[in-house]
Amino acid sequence: MISRSMISRFLLGIVLVVVMLAAGPTTYLVLASKTSKVAAPPQKPTASTPRPQAYTLPGTIYIVQQGALYSLSVGRFHQLTPEAGWTMPALVPDGTHLLAIKTNGRYSDVYVLNRFGSVTKRVTNNAAPPRNRDTGANHWAFYPRLSPDGKTLWFAYDQPKYGYNVIMSVWAMPLSGTIKQGKLWTSANDYSGGDVQPIPVKTGMIYTKYGYGPDTKLVGQLWFTNRARAAGKPLTSAGEDCRSPAVSPSGTQIAMICTYEKQVSYLVIASWNGSTLGARKAIISNQLVAQPIWAPDGSGIAYLAPGVPAGPFQLWFLPKAAYAPIPTASRSPGASPAESPSPVVPVKPIQVTTNNGFDATSPLAWG
Amino acid sequence: MLAIALSSVAGGLAYFLPAAQFAIESAGQVVKVPTPSPTDILLSPSPQKPALSPVTGAFTVLLLGSDDDSKFNADHVLTQSMILVRVVPSTKQVTMLSIPRDLYVHLSTGGFGKIDGAYSYGGPGAAMATVSQDFGVQINDYIWVGLLGLIKLIDAVGGVDVVTSHPVLDDYYPSDIASHSAYDYQRVAVLGGPQHLDGIHAMQYVRSRHGDLQSDFGRSQRQQQVLLAIRQKAKQLSPEDLPALSAALGGELKTSIGLSKVAALLPLAASFDNPDAIRQIVLLPPYTHGGGPGGSITANWSLILPLVHQYFP
Repeated sequence: MISRSMISRFLLGIVLVVVMLAAGPTTYLVLASKTSKVAAPPQKPTASTPRPQAYTLPGTIYIVQQGALYSLSVGRFHQLTPEAGWTMPALVPDGTHLLAIKTNGRYSDVYVLNRFGSVTKRVTNNAAPPRNRDTGANHWAFYPRLSPDGKTLWFAYDQPKYGYNVIMSVWAMPLSGTIKQGKLWTSANDYSGGDVQPIPVKTGMIYTKYGYGPDTKLVGQLWFTNRARAAGKPLTSAGEDCRSPAVSPSGTQIAMICTYEKQVSYLVIASWNGSTLGARKAIISNQLVAQPIWAPDGSGIAYLAPGVPAGPFQLWFLPKAAYAPIPTASRSPGASPAESPSPVVPVKPIQVTTNNGFDATSPLAWG
Repeated sequence: MLAIALSSVAGGLAYFLPAAQFAIESAGQVVKVPTPSPTDILLSPSPQKPALSPVTGAFTVLLLGSDDDSKFNADHVLTQSMILVRVVPSTKQVTMLSIPRDLYVHLSTGGFGKIDGAYSYGGPGAAMATVSQDFGVQINDYIWVGLLGLIKLIDAVGGVDVVTSHPVLDDYYPSDIASHSAYDYQRVAVLGGPQHLDGIHAMQYVRSRHGDLQSDFGRSQRQQQVLLAIRQKAKQLSPEDLPALSAALGGELKTSIGLSKVAALLPLAASFDNPDAIRQIVLLPPYTHGGGPGGSITANWSLILPLVHQYFP
């Protein structure tokens, strides 16, 4: 006769066997769930809208992830192009169209797109001629911008180049013309990467020039010129190691990324009078910040920076209150770098996205 | 209860099995120091035998990076990257010294040649012995990573954040990864500034030698930047990431560092927080100058040795 205690022991045995069988796989799964997720691929921006508490930015931001252009408007992303090498969007002055670069691995070209991402015009043709197998017969075009009147296209172009000396130079050409009508504006330093990121302004053109600093390290400097092939003048010192200029909507301030020759980056702003920069003010110093852009209504600055240390770049926004009032004192660009940046003010940047991984080499457009 | 515990342990072992296999195959490699010919023994001091220091004390590791594509026979590759790293745990100081690959030196296997050939003549032992005898440095261990290994490592940790110092543009970059022919070329453009690099683009950034006037010296500086970025990313990893990492790296990493020391080094690496405590040295002129035999670089030992003895005592 089977007693109740025997039944209880039998059931306990069954339970223990089940627990034993489950313990191994459970341990395995628990360990697997504890991985750091550092290699998890970023989400597409359209996979989830920004966090509910995310700051709703004014206007529309154009941003790049994995070779696709996206717009962010009223807190919602829209994919404008397929993932096909698209990068570096820039709004035309009337805001009706975008310029953008399409890369294919061997060359890149400037295109005009409408605000919904449809191509309306291919401006350059940088592929090597048919049957020319020399890789050097292809060309790069990067960082397109239009002049305030919308007629002249400014961009960085790898001509002239000689053998291994592939350097970008700033060119200008009629938007309705061809590269044969283009004009070389800058004389890039050999074997430096060259001159990039042209920003046409009322008084001339600001750009980033790469070159060898006094310590023989390659550094970036903002330069200004108002005549083609003229020497121009540096706006920042070699030791500041700056790049990615962005002019404020009022035209009186410039935001830039300065790295002081280190593996750090500061978001720095300075007043701008049309020919010289004023005192610098570092407004972000604790993030690896890239690609600043001013809000069209002057309410702040958006930029890209990792959401977690050493992670992919996310979209951030710094409200104007964090960095106003602007500095006004003037300072010589040749002066010893500020090698230490200006005192940092407390700021409260807002993280707009958390897991998207945007292309930090592509400037943002905002209109 | 014992059965349940054993089952749990078995689950854990199954999880870490790939990492253990990889560690056994890659770590703790025996260093064979080749014996030079009798003439060479007369001409040069004997290679110093590496002595293992405890992790609590300072130690020196030789990092070796090689193209290991189809252009080369396995284990007879050149080391295109040689970086001496000295770690002082007590002061949390790290010193990285990049050795130019074309440096003309006395090889531990005999004769003279470019230092990048030492590994191809006698493996990691010869590379360690050559650096040890020429630079007068005691080297405790080596880590060798193949071309694909660096790409896989960086992809396995989800990419690295780097401030690229300038646009690296190269119309004649070797296309030995993506092409069927190891001698093809491709164009690369790694743009300047802060960015998140995947394995392929990080490799392009550190490997291109046509993008700046300093050629291999500029490349050495870029290699050090990416090494620091990998170290930064490694701080985000947990032990549970090891199986995925080992699966990604299989066969592309070798080291003489034993498993127990690897385990002791992981928390140590995470404790190095201050970027200013990392000293980076590249042997630019006047420490070296061109014009050596066969396109090699000649060392100015009267300047190099005091510098090395200062930072690698």
